[in-house]
Amino acid sequence: MTLHMREKQAATLPKANILPRARGTLDLTTKPRGDRSAIDRLRTSGCVRVLFPRSERAVEAIVINTSGGLTGGDSLSLAAVAGAGSHLTLTTQAAERAYRASADVARVETRLAAQAGSLLQWLPQELILFEGARLRRRLRVDMAADARLLLAEPVIFGRTAMGERLRDVVFSDRIAVWRDGAPLYLDGLDLRGDLESAMARPALGGGAGAMVSLVYVAPDAEAQLAPLRDMMPETGGVSLMRADLLVVRLLASDSLELRRSLLPVLDRLSRDTLPISWRL
Amino acid sequence: MGTVAPTAMSTATPPMPIDHTLLTLTQWLSPAYPVGAFAYSHGLETAVQAGWVTDAATLEAWLRDILSDGSGKTDALWIWLAWRGEHPVAELDALARAWSPAQERLREAERQGAAFAKVTAEVWGLDLPPMLLPVALGAAARQMGMDPEQAAALYLNAFAGNLISAAQRLMPLGQTAAQGVVSRLTPLCADVATSTGALTLDDMSSSAFLSDVAAMRHETLEPRLFQS
Repeated sequence: MTLHMREKQAATLPKANILPRARGTLDLTTKPRGDRSAIDRLRTSGCVRVLFPRSERAVEAIVINTSGGLTGGDSLSLAAVAGAGSHLTLTTQAAERAYRASADVARVETRLAAQAGSLLQWLPQELILFEGARLRRRLRVDMAADARLLLAEPVIFGRTAMGERLRDVVFSDRIAVWRDGAPLYLDGLDLRGDLESAMARPALGGGAGAMVSLVYVAPDAEAQLAPLRDMMPETGGVSLMRADLLVVRLLASDSLELRRSLLPVLDRLSRDTLPISWRL
Repeated sequence: MGTVAPTAMSTATPPMPIDHTLLTLTQWLSPAYPVGAFAYSHGLETAVQAGWVTDAATLEAWLRDILSDGSGKTDALWIWLAWRGEHPVAELDALARAWSPAQERLREAERQGAAFAKVTAEVWGLDLPPMLLPVALGAAARQMGMDPEQAAALYLNAFAGNLISAAQRLMPLGQTAAQGVVSRLTPLCADVATSTGALTLDDMSSSAFLSDVAAMRHETLEPRLFQS
């Protein structure tokens, strides 16, 4: 089923959900090969496919959900490991859409690891929440003491430019980064009901329709603080939590505005290795 | 035998014995307790400078969001979790540190928590290593056999009161208007203290995103009166 068809069906189908429930898994590990990185293990099932447009210093993996979007009962389980000394960059081919779900929630579980001396970049494109979405996401990263990490999760609260309003959404999201068995960065939100009104509240979104949370773990984190501060709009903040841990919270009116602020930040922190799919 | 009209004496419930732990809780959460709460605005100073908070109404809305969906909620849950004792407090403290959304937020909870733990351990003979303030309070309340709901409610009321005092130094806000905001937030403090009692560690979440941004931007705010 094409993405467009599924979107249309999701919008027009009656409450009895007859959409096929998508299942998908990814299991990917990388390893060093000379001064480059290579795939060590790869297994996918169900609606998950992966493209590897280039494997140079880093293995670049573009994850595709062939079901064309998330809806009730869907379940994605993604696991990826940047093996010791290798570089792995994961992204998605396009924005992920969470559509109306009549009963069950859609579940996305992502389990990542960055082994000794590795670099892991988790840079999915935007998650777009549609009216009626029910989504539960869990992301956990386990890092070795000397591994590096760049992680960004952009979320779009409805395509407001197209007149879409989120009145009835359930969205539960968690990000957990652990290093050497200890918690390093934890974040999470539970939003329920009228998200448009919620995001209009002054200390929540102040009317924002898009948000990104970013985590950067690297020895040069402190050196990135001042340049990143200069790149932030009034609705964005950056903070150095530890000498090697930088966090960003950035709000924007819509997805376009979010990209305008986020792309230069990602280019800088990824040293211009942002996957090509982000440019399309 | 005639019926006797009930007197005020006979219908009034007997006076409740005074709960000493409530008095002690009030002492811990009073502005006079030496944790230095007055030095922190919790990002409010940024919000005032940015024009997001300008008067009693916008202040109330800002604090309402923080209490119900931001650090008010998460702090109340840390108090409950530390009081329940299902997780070692050192573990909870490490988790609470990782949950801190901004460096000044972490420092605010860390410094007040260290001061609270030191004084409270010394005066009441409790076992309190330095911890973030809500974790330390929950642990102390547990050791003293205090009611966690009261501890969380008083904590939130003190937290709101402190930020309203901060607001009076940051913008034109009269004493009566300020106390009005405190009083309108009191029922919310009680609600959050109660509702977080039903939550677990898995429910830890926060959506006061702009309040996090305000805390981050405070790091470079000029001029600034507060440490957060």
